[in-house]
Amino acid sequence: MNVENPPAAPAAKIKKVVSANPADRYSGAGQTPDPWDQCARLEYGADRSFAWSVREQVIATPPEGRARAEEKLLKALADAARTDAGLAFICQMLAMVASAKSVPALAPLLRDAKTADSARYALERIAGPEADAAFRDALGTLTGTLKAGLIGSIGVRGDIAAKSALAALKDAATEPAVVREAATHALARLSTSKS
Amino acid sequence: MNSPLPLTRRQFLQHSAVVTAVAAAPLILPSGLRGQNAPSKKITVGIVGCGNIADGHYGPLLGSPESIRVLAVCDVDRTRRDSAAARVNKEYGNTDCKTYGDFRELNRRTDIDVVFICTPDHWHALIAIDAMRNGKDVYVEKPLTLTIAEGRALVDTARKYNRVAQHGTQHRSMKRFHDVAEFVRNDGLGKLERIDCFIPPNNRHCGATWQPEAVPANLDWEMWLGPAPWRPYNSKGCHYNFRFISESAYGQVTNWGAHYLDIGQWALGMDDSGPVSVEGHGEFPSSGLFTNCTNVNFTVRYANGVPMHCRTRFEGGGTARFVGERGWLDIARDKMSASDNNLLREMQAPNKKVQLELSNNHHDNFFACVRSRKRPIADVGLGHRTTTVCNLGQIGMVLGRKLHWDPVKEEFIKDDVANRLRTRAMRSPWSLA
Repeated sequence: MNVENPPAAPAAKIKKVVSANPADRYSGAGQTPDPWDQCARLEYGADRSFAWSVREQVIATPPEGRARAEEKLLKALADAARTDAGLAFICQMLAMVASAKSVPALAPLLRDAKTADSARYALERIAGPEADAAFRDALGTLTGTLKAGLIGSIGVRGDIAAKSALAALKDAATEPAVVREAATHALARLSTSKS
Repeated sequence: MNSPLPLTRRQFLQHSAVVTAVAAAPLILPSGLRGQNAPSKKITVGIVGCGNIADGHYGPLLGSPESIRVLAVCDVDRTRRDSAAARVNKEYGNTDCKTYGDFRELNRRTDIDVVFICTPDHWHALIAIDAMRNGKDVYVEKPLTLTIAEGRALVDTARKYNRVAQHGTQHRSMKRFHDVAEFVRNDGLGKLERIDCFIPPNNRHCGATWQPEAVPANLDWEMWLGPAPWRPYNSKGCHYNFRFISESAYGQVTNWGAHYLDIGQWALGMDDSGPVSVEGHGEFPSSGLFTNCTNVNFTVRYANGVPMHCRTRFEGGGTARFVGERGWLDIARDKMSASDNNLLREMQAPNKKVQLELSNNHHDNFFACVRSRKRPIADVGLGHRTTTVCNLGQIGMVLGRKLHWDPVKEEFIKDDVANRLRTRAMRSPWSLA
């Protein structure tokens, strides 16, 4: 056996790399992370360049492409590995482009004390009865300061269908002062809304 | 005064002094109810926010103890509020100044007439609105508010409760700025071609990443954040530097822009209106704690065609330059120059057709209006309009496309995303309702 010239090893099978980024197909550099996936895993203080990339794309999206951007954000929102910072970021993006299509995904988050404020950030900017209903439905699940924030959003949105519920909260002895005060201000705001 | 609120302390004292004088004369009034030292003439003050911006107020507020009296200070940082109270007590030679960590307690004191709001920007609107709902007049540091919606809500509250509300843009009470605005307003430069505003650089660099830190024992971090989205504490993102983080402020666009863009608004006669378009291309950091624009560059354009540019100047401070067919005028806080010295001489000529209100002291003007119930030189109505110009620049740079603005409806024309950026949801329990 010629040890200096061993037989060539069989060629390894080349694994085809499929990147989420179309630009990578020709780069030969292998797969690179998809910012739309990575943004859900953002951590406070860590590198935010993936989130920044998503932000730039959301902002640059023309009106006809916003539904697609919203879909991608909702996919990120559903990521099981989503972090608190990732949730806050996604909701900030949704606040700019979300439609009623996002309400079913955001409504459960609105009813959860851990995620309610981020969900409010997105939902408060979504016009239409679907988001109004999500806010009203959450009134029965949140308490204390979170409930006060929810009431504030209802007031800001001018949802007159919530008037009777707010009137009851305003006078409810069982509610803390922060809730009763929020209901009082929201009702005052609704009194100037168109019926 | 048609205030929907119960009588405030000052109004009660004024009212009861008149009633007493009429009904009980010639009874001798207590010495405290007569002349210069009458309690109805002494304005009582609370200060919310005891950082570096408040430092500029202590001199004017503590220098006239016969007519102005600071009763309380409030800050979420115990060290700062204790230091502020000590300063007040030292000046008065007593220990009466009360400290608070929650502005709502200060706002509900019935013996306080006016509240100075010197907090980070994300708190301005809520504290001012709460103070006015509780019968206080307010002096709100610049920028008036963080968002356009907050500004509208603040102005509406001032009108609803008939409150005197001054915006802390003290250039309005500096004769140099008054003279330039009046000169331009009277076509002293001929047809105005453009306004160039330069503002200082925005951010200090603090690295691409940052680490959450333990909250200092003296700081109520949750209350410091208040309506802003939650984030962990980091010492570089709190006092002063908050202005470089867009959840709390819009950097020098609102910090110095509130001063120089304000003079442009004044000179153009746009105190109750604003531009009709904005276009901007700023550079924002894609990493790190700070998020606001590092290189500001935007242009708002008015219905008469005049553009007002706002750009970062990396060397030197802020200025506003007015360029017209007869030359240019350049004005800063500490200097003024012109393309031709004759323009400076003409500026001092009397009897101009349009005469702008002259104030030589922002605090004196505010307190005089608290007494007279007139609108101050930098009423929050015009403060809101100037802060809106800053916001238009910010939104224009964020979106990077030309936006059309309706200054009557206060909304962008056919741009849903831009309109959504006029406001933001606040963290619980806070809201604009």
